[in-house]
Amino acid sequence: MNDVAIRVDGLVKDYVTGPPWRRSQAVRALQGVDLAVDRGEVFGFLGPNGAGKSTTIRVLLDLLRPTAGHVEMIGGRPAEVGPALRARIGYLPGELNMAGQRTAGEELRYLATLRGGRGTDRIAELAERFTLDLDRPIRGLSKGNKQKVGVIQAFMHRPELLILDEPTSGLDPLLQREFLDLVREAQADGATVFMSSHVLSEVEDVAGRVAIIRAGRIVDTDDVRTLRHHAGQLVELRFAAPVDVEEFRVLPGVEDVVADGDALTCLLRGEPDALLKTAARHHVLQWSAQDRELEDLFIDFYRLPVDDTLIASEEVAAHGR
Amino acid sequence: MAADTVASRRSGTAATAAPLAVFRGVLRSRRRSLLLWSLAVAAVTAVYVSFYPAMGEEADLASFVANLPEGMVEVMGYDQIGTPGGYLNSTVFGILGPALLLVFAIGWGSRTIAGSEEDGILELEATHPVSRAHVYLDRLLAMWVGVALLAAVVFAVAMLLLVALDVDLAASRLAAGTVGLLLLALAMGTIALATGAATGRRGLALATAAGLAVVSFVADAMGGLVDGLAWLTTVSPWSWYLGGDPLIDGFDVPGLALLATLTVLAALAGLARYRQRDLGV
Ligand SMILES: Nc1ncnc2c1ncn2[C@@H]1O[C@H](COP(=O)(O)OP(=O)(O)OP(=O)(O)O)[C@@H](O)[C@H]1O
Ligand SMILES: [Mg+2]
Repeated sequence: MNDVAIRVDGLVKDYVTGPPWRRSQAVRALQGVDLAVDRGEVFGFLGPNGAGKSTTIRVLLDLLRPTAGHVEMIGGRPAEVGPALRARIGYLPGELNMAGQRTAGEELRYLATLRGGRGTDRIAELAERFTLDLDRPIRGLSKGNKQKVGVIQAFMHRPELLILDEPTSGLDPLLQREFLDLVREAQADGATVFMSSHVLSEVEDVAGRVAIIRAGRIVDTDDVRTLRHHAGQLVELRFAAPVDVEEFRVLPGVEDVVADGDALTCLLRGEPDALLKTAARHHVLQWSAQDRELEDLFIDFYRLPVDDTLIASEEVAAHGR
Repeated sequence: MAADTVASRRSGTAATAAPLAVFRGVLRSRRRSLLLWSLAVAAVTAVYVSFYPAMGEEADLASFVANLPEGMVEVMGYDQIGTPGGYLNSTVFGILGPALLLVFAIGWGSRTIAGSEEDGILELEATHPVSRAHVYLDRLLAMWVGVALLAAVVFAVAMLLLVALDVDLAASRLAAGTVGLLLLALAMGTIALATGAATGRRGLALATAAGLAVVSFVADAMGGLVDGLAWLTTVSPWSWYLGGDPLIDGFDVPGLALLATLTVLAALAGLARYRQRDLGV
């Protein structure tokens, strides 16, 4: 248990909306989420809009109470341990809102008092690093500047666990890099970082592992390196005469076969042997194989039909190995 | 290995919020609004109280009242308007004072939790090391202190002018009226806060408390006018406040106790629900 920072088992969350006399329609935002984040790792939590990232995170922070399932974090369950657990966490909300009349400095100092003063001493240093003017009222800050306040309050007390919901949204590339440096420093200090994003490229450089969530289910959890392997190659063949698509469609490790006249494209994961041998039966004029970007793989996951998510993800994983 | 690093670098004891940290934060950010409200309440009290001697001397008031329909006289409490206590009963403490304090208390009560939650600004606070009960009670206490400040302003300004104008009204009578006014505003403000904390809906909190205040005012008036409806005055919080004519007869202990009980029960019910529910949905 001690080496696990976050463990989520079969987490289900229903949003019950509407007035009490019409409480029958619930939105099932999470359909049984499983996650295990080790201590000291930087973990990416990826998924498209409405997948359930923020919902999962808000259960971790005890803003929402689970409909079913278990959540265990460094030192206990969110609802049981409460403040003592949150004292060890730094959280950046996905939708950051702060009262407008305070200045950035007042807001940060106020939040530090809620941590018994922890982090007050780092406000000036971090504000300088992120070029944030502490004397400006929050009301007048741009989205990016507000996000800086959010980042600073999450990191300033050097928490053991950082839970960051789309942390780089609104930050320009320079500050995104500064933010990633902050993440690396925290990790070097032994902190665990759990951060969500829509795109892999935002977390790719710092994250060791990522989980992909879609429609309330985890469809894949993997090393970034393994994911890269899963991405496979895009193969393009040109034949002297049109070929039968079915012949290629049945090959192991070959997917998305499309024929256009005498040209054929497909996605290859794993060994190219079967594909090459089959192609060699025909007259091959041209051949090219290109490594796919990780983003493409990511898009695959996003596009999976909702009902078949589980099966499809197993297929993707099986093809990769 | 990670655990070792954590221990060496990150101090083991996690620091949670100091008592009243939220309370202090709320009052700090409400400083200006509190000052403006205090000035407004002071001005209204001062204007009404300083009119009393002028009205008393010219004796116009008595003839004005005599020409009013009897029901109206009773609703407004004008039958006693010739005495200092009766005059304050139907002016500062009868309409405008409670109206101002109720608007203030209900506005604050519905905004402090439900309003903050709807605006999304409660999320950062709630995810810091401070328990839900702590947030709730601190914010409740801050609202109570704000309302108490306004009630104190009413008392201080009225007392000062009564002495300055040499009007004969015992301080205990004024205190009785002020405590009633305070408890009425606390009760309605707490109902607003509790409703908001229980539901997360500011509009609902506002409507519930304001609606209850208006209904209890009307019930108090109807109960006094219509014989068959006299029972209304036993259930109306407004009657608990003014039914015993505190500015004439002094402290109405049962009425005050009922207002205090209503306040505490509303606060507890709101807290119980607030600790259970999902925030920010
Ligand atoms: N307060 C709410 N009431 C009802 N349904 C909600 C509520 N909040 C979220 N949902 C639903 O739950 C699902 C998951 O939402 P969530 O905010 O967790 O997604 P997300 O992955 O964070 O998306 P995004 O990338 O847009 O932030 C969505 O279908 C959303 O419509
Ligand atoms: Mg989100």
